[in-house]
Amino acid sequence: MKGYLKMKTGIKKMVSRVNIKPGLSNFSSYFFSSRTKFNRKTITFGVVILSWLVINSLFLIAQQPEQVIAIKGAKIITVTGEEIPNGIILIKGKLIADIGPNVNIPSEAKVIEAQGLRAYPGLIDGYSFLGIQEISSVRATVDTRETGDINPQANSYEALRPDSVHIPITRANGITCALVAPTGGLISGMSGLIKLDGWTPGELVVKGPVAMHIQFPMPRRSFRRQSKPSVSTSKKINQLKKLFAEARYYEKRRLAAQKNTLLPYPDFDEKLEALLPVVHGQLPVMISVYAENDIKQVIKLVKEEKLKAILFGVHDGCKVANEIAQAGLPVVLDSLYNMPVRWEDGYDALYRNPAALVKAGVKIAFSSQSASVAKDLPWHAAKAVAFGLEAEEALKAVTINPAEIFGVADQMGSLEKGKLANIVLTDGDILEIKRHVKHLFIEGQEIDLSNYYTELLHKFEKRLNENK
Amino acid sequence: MKKIVVLVIVFIGLLLTPGWAGQDLFIKNGTLLTITKGIISGGDILIIDGKIRQIGQDLAPPEGIPVVDATGLYVMPGIIDSHTHIALSGTNEGSVAISSEVRMKDVINAEDTSIYTALTGGVTMVHTMHGSANPIGGENVVLKLKWGKTAEDMYVPYAYRTLKFALGENPKRANMMVVSANPRYPQTRMGVVAIIRREFEKARAYMEEWKRYNQLKKNKKLVSFLLPPRRNLRLEPLVLMMEGKMVARCHTYQADETLEFIKLSKEFGFKIGAFEHAWEAYKIAKELAAEKIGISVFADSWAYKMEAYQGIAYMAAFCAKNGVLVSINSDSGERIRRLFNDAAKTMRYGDLSEEEALKLITINPAIQLGVEKRVGSLEVGKDADIAIFKEHPLSAFTRCEKTIIEGEIYFDRAKYLEEQKKKEQKKKEKAEKKTPKGGLK
Amino acid sequence: MRVLKNYLIFFFVWGLIAAPLFGEVVKPTYALVGCRIHPVNGTPIDKGTIIIRNGKIEATGPAEKISIPEDAEVIDAKELEAYPGLIDAYTQYFLESTSPSTAQRQSRMMAASPPEERSWDKTGFLVVENLKFKKTTLDSLHRAGITTILVSPPQQIFAGLSALINLNGEKLPAMVLQDKVALHLYFTTARGSYPSSLMGTVALFRQSFYDAQHYDLQKKTFLRYPDKVSRPKYDAFLERLLPYVIEKKPVIFNCANLEDIKRAIRLIEEFDLNGYIAGANEAWRVIEWIKKARRPLLVSVDFKPPITSRYANMGEEIKEKAEKEIYPHNPAELQKEKISFALVSGKISKPGDFLKNVRLAVEAGLPAEEALKALTIIPARYFGVDSYLGSIEPGKIANLILTKGELFTADCQVRRVFVDGLSFEVKTAEAKSTGKAAAVNLSGKWKASLVSQMGTLESTWELTQEGNKVSGMIASEMGNWEISEGTLSGNKLTMVIMANIMGQDMELTFEGEASKDKIRGTISFAGGSAEMTATRIPDAR
Repeated sequence: MKGYLKMKTGIKKMVSRVNIKPGLSNFSSYFFSSRTKFNRKTITFGVVILSWLVINSLFLIAQQPEQVIAIKGAKIITVTGEEIPNGIILIKGKLIADIGPNVNIPSEAKVIEAQGLRAYPGLIDGYSFLGIQEISSVRATVDTRETGDINPQANSYEALRPDSVHIPITRANGITCALVAPTGGLISGMSGLIKLDGWTPGELVVKGPVAMHIQFPMPRRSFRRQSKPSVSTSKKINQLKKLFAEARYYEKRRLAAQKNTLLPYPDFDEKLEALLPVVHGQLPVMISVYAENDIKQVIKLVKEEKLKAILFGVHDGCKVANEIAQAGLPVVLDSLYNMPVRWEDGYDALYRNPAALVKAGVKIAFSSQSASVAKDLPWHAAKAVAFGLEAEEALKAVTINPAEIFGVADQMGSLEKGKLANIVLTDGDILEIKRHVKHLFIEGQEIDLSNYYTELLHKFEKRLNENK
Repeated sequence: MKKIVVLVIVFIGLLLTPGWAGQDLFIKNGTLLTITKGIISGGDILIIDGKIRQIGQDLAPPEGIPVVDATGLYVMPGIIDSHTHIALSGTNEGSVAISSEVRMKDVINAEDTSIYTALTGGVTMVHTMHGSANPIGGENVVLKLKWGKTAEDMYVPYAYRTLKFALGENPKRANMMVVSANPRYPQTRMGVVAIIRREFEKARAYMEEWKRYNQLKKNKKLVSFLLPPRRNLRLEPLVLMMEGKMVARCHTYQADETLEFIKLSKEFGFKIGAFEHAWEAYKIAKELAAEKIGISVFADSWAYKMEAYQGIAYMAAFCAKNGVLVSINSDSGERIRRLFNDAAKTMRYGDLSEEEALKLITINPAIQLGVEKRVGSLEVGKDADIAIFKEHPLSAFTRCEKTIIEGEIYFDRAKYLEEQKKKEQKKKEKAEKKTPKGGLK
Repeated sequence: MRVLKNYLIFFFVWGLIAAPLFGEVVKPTYALVGCRIHPVNGTPIDKGTIIIRNGKIEATGPAEKISIPEDAEVIDAKELEAYPGLIDAYTQYFLESTSPSTAQRQSRMMAASPPEERSWDKTGFLVVENLKFKKTTLDSLHRAGITTILVSPPQQIFAGLSALINLNGEKLPAMVLQDKVALHLYFTTARGSYPSSLMGTVALFRQSFYDAQHYDLQKKTFLRYPDKVSRPKYDAFLERLLPYVIEKKPVIFNCANLEDIKRAIRLIEEFDLNGYIAGANEAWRVIEWIKKARRPLLVSVDFKPPITSRYANMGEEIKEKAEKEIYPHNPAELQKEKISFALVSGKISKPGDFLKNVRLAVEAGLPAEEALKALTIIPARYFGVDSYLGSIEPGKIANLILTKGELFTADCQVRRVFVDGLSFEVKTAEAKSTGKAAAVNLSGKWKASLVSQMGTLESTWELTQEGNKVSGMIASEMGNWEISEGTLSGNKLTMVIMANIMGQDMELTFEGEASKDKIRGTISFAGGSAEMTATRIPDAR
């Protein structure tokens, strides 16, 4: 600091005292003349600092071409606020800088004419296998399910394959983010939220871990009376309770050993270690549970163990909607492309499930539970609308709701100023089947919508036209 | 107890009534999607004896006919699923590679609840088939989904007779979990082609044997000790194919094996009714159009095995636009409920028009099965197989409200909702009965 | 001289002992006095007498008209009812377990598997050679008033030839009335080999019958023109089919559901077989077919809706209602249409349950006289033994039962049973309440192997049994599968296993027999079935 002030005063003195005429020769003669011996040091110092600043700022300018894009004329469905029938979205860098019916478009902005199109927030898939499954029957390409029953240490987002053909196909239908989750066993592992654009796993991951996944079995066709809870569910719950207790004890011993070096230090146990954030209520658990009595038992478990929880699947949602609402648990529904197990529940049991849950006040999200048909996410929501769910709620369930459930609602899930520019432009209702996605933005970048499907299509279109 | 006895007697009485003739029905004021003759708003359909007698606007129905008010609803022909395995007690005769002697007609299960599930999706007719475990499977069967009736009532005798063939990973057992010490031949695609060729050669020889016998029979001197050839039920369907009385429905994925099968069909002179799944048909649209061979495909169920990895969602639309007769099928007791959603996907992936998309699940599969004179569109004289939807069937927000076969309503959502309500009521009453006494009665 | 004396003594003593073994046993003569006689071939006689001599009914009639012989043991039958001994014309009692060992099955499976390996061919299986006498079974049959049974071979596509047995308590096969009664056919599959599907089985039936016809034609033509026709190759299977396909001996189709009945009738018509239809607890649903076919019917009183039936697939409530309220009406409905049939136990393995279910059928509307006929004269007629069985008439074999209370009423009790003129006093069931106590507890670790056409799969099972519910896990290289529902009744084990095979969730069902250290049975799944055997892993102490 002292040196800097000295330099400042030195330069001031120099400038006031000396009449330096512009010109390098003048400056160099001045610099090398004897009278300026004292100031040579200061001047050198000053020049070095100056050039450093200049180079740096050039560097910074080169790194951040803060792109400005203006989407003009679209019908904007913000999800959390009012619809804007004819509005402008201004994107600066990664974020939505401004949004409204009248927004000032800076001159350097790239303008995208969107008359007749609709703008939606990018859709978010509540549970998918994107990036961890390529061809379901070719084991070498499937990393969704680790062997054994208890695998809390398995991180699905550490197994991502960004080159999966399913990712560009899925985003070409309007999905910008997806939860990638493992499955199988009792504790399958942890999931992460990815954006569907990135060269490396690091670039894909938006948040990880998002939840620890626990599985309760789906009832089968021969599922009999529901008067008693199934024996295996209670066994599983006991197993979990035991594990949680073990994890707590493991931590206790470790802390004690840290304080008192005479006590033996427990060996690293990767599974118990991984369960600690769960046990402390920091990392939510996503529990796949389907049958009515199982759900009730799970709600009890969550309360007793003081877990932060999200329910998944919940096929019998109609029957326990109130209990779930009272427990304040959100629900991620599994693919609506499943069959109801019990004839007595009716053929549309799974279709009317979402509406029943929403009516009772439960927050729901939809999922594709797939990699190869993850693009169908909006159409699961549409199916629920066909069977009684309100269209706005359906849209929320694929945008802001999953964002809130996964704790990223400050960044995405709706079109609001300050959030990430994950935007889809369609030529129709995004939940409809026959609409097309015209433009897609992920974190402010416009995404090329070509994908594996379109590449093959063009290749063979060429073949067809070649001899014509 | 008495109620149940009455119900039972009524039920049994209904069963005893033989050969239910078609019913009369009048559908009023709906948007009629006829498929072949355009769209009629505010249209009526008069059905007598299970057949469509009149289509038009402001028709006057005769007295006493039940009326279905289709105001605000969309009326289309019943959906035809040309590839399923429902309503059967058995799918694959997988112990041997060639099982052409089996007939799915022998194992129809009219009580399969999947029939009802299909009705809830507006499907009225299915081509239900042998599975794809064998290079040559068995004879398939076409059924109308008359839930509650007998298998004989459901059987459609006027459809093409079809024999199931399969190429690729399934018949060569590539996805078996445990490779046995003694795997079943064939285990490669070349074996699959060779075994099919072998059977047709055998069938040719068998045909020759019978020709000779029939010739020699004419000679009175030889008749007394002339023995007919042993009837070979396995080769007879192949003979029928070479005589043009049965067509092949061949399960295939890769474009190369599809072309090989076309070659085989020329070698032995049989007709191909359609290729099933045919996920790479877009690569050979040229050949398929030239040979006039249709395909029966998924909208977008792909990437579940290696040979399905190059299946693109644009395929159905692309082939349809380039001269190939395309139908969309489900091959699943679950997907059969949303064939109309699958058809809509061809508008998003490939830009088919609404009319063209609807054809994929109505008149096109009908043509492939040889039943287009009876079903597949709303035309006077055709069977009254109709599905009524709440919104346009190609909208994602639609659902099926009623499914009608030959004028009789087999699925009615309104009735279903009433029954569900009654069930809920009963449950509530039962629960209330228990609580006052604080335990079970 | 001494030697001669010894010989004489020896022969004398031997003669005394041996005489009963050689000569005709002189059976006692009985006179049953004061009972109400239901002769079946006529009207009931209120206070009647029946004289049994030498194993035959000598006389029967109102008490005043019949004189009691001097050598008769008089049995006071006042207030008792006399019926002909009941005939159960489709059972599997006394069958010796004949399933081959795992090693045999495995070797058979893994050997070169040509499609013509006829594992389904049990036409050479004679029930009469595979019977094992069990006193407890005999007693329980007598308690239910059953004196004659048809024992059918175990389930197989071409199952074998049945035998008629008269339950006179002598050692088998002395109880056999008739051998090779009929060829039994089942609509089942050959596990692991051809045919592994139902349509394959139908195709097999058709091909086999055509082949038998062709074989017969070939043989006959060869005999007439040995110089012009080539000699037919001997085929043991087709030889055994000839009596049934050509000479029209009886063939019995076991029909589990209404479609099986149609399948059977179509085959009977296509090949003009002398076909009988057994099982058929859904017969009323295809009554037109049955009326037209006019074939003998052996109607089972097992009222469980078959798994293909819609009643079984629309929820538990409907299934139970069907079992209690709809299926019991089957016999009554048939009778209304004047279709004649015999009532049989079929799948019911306890004679007491058989009688109980016949009673339910009577309560559901079947007239008691018709039920009685269906258990006596009609089955006798079907099997050509009505000249000596099936009614109380002089000259017929003395198969009779004396009951307290009328048959087919809730408090009917069989007091005495006569079979072939031998008397059996029926003890009122004291210890029959629990039947066979499920003394087997399967809890513990087991090592199992599954043999299928695709290879052998080893697995470890961990089972827990509470009461008769079995649960647990199956661990194998394909993953850990949960047993969701297991039931052990007696020694029959059934389980439903939730498997996940290559990402696909599947439900497998296991049915078999379990003993303390061995479980053996079949696992069925969507594509077929396979044999599975498990042996207990002893606890390491």
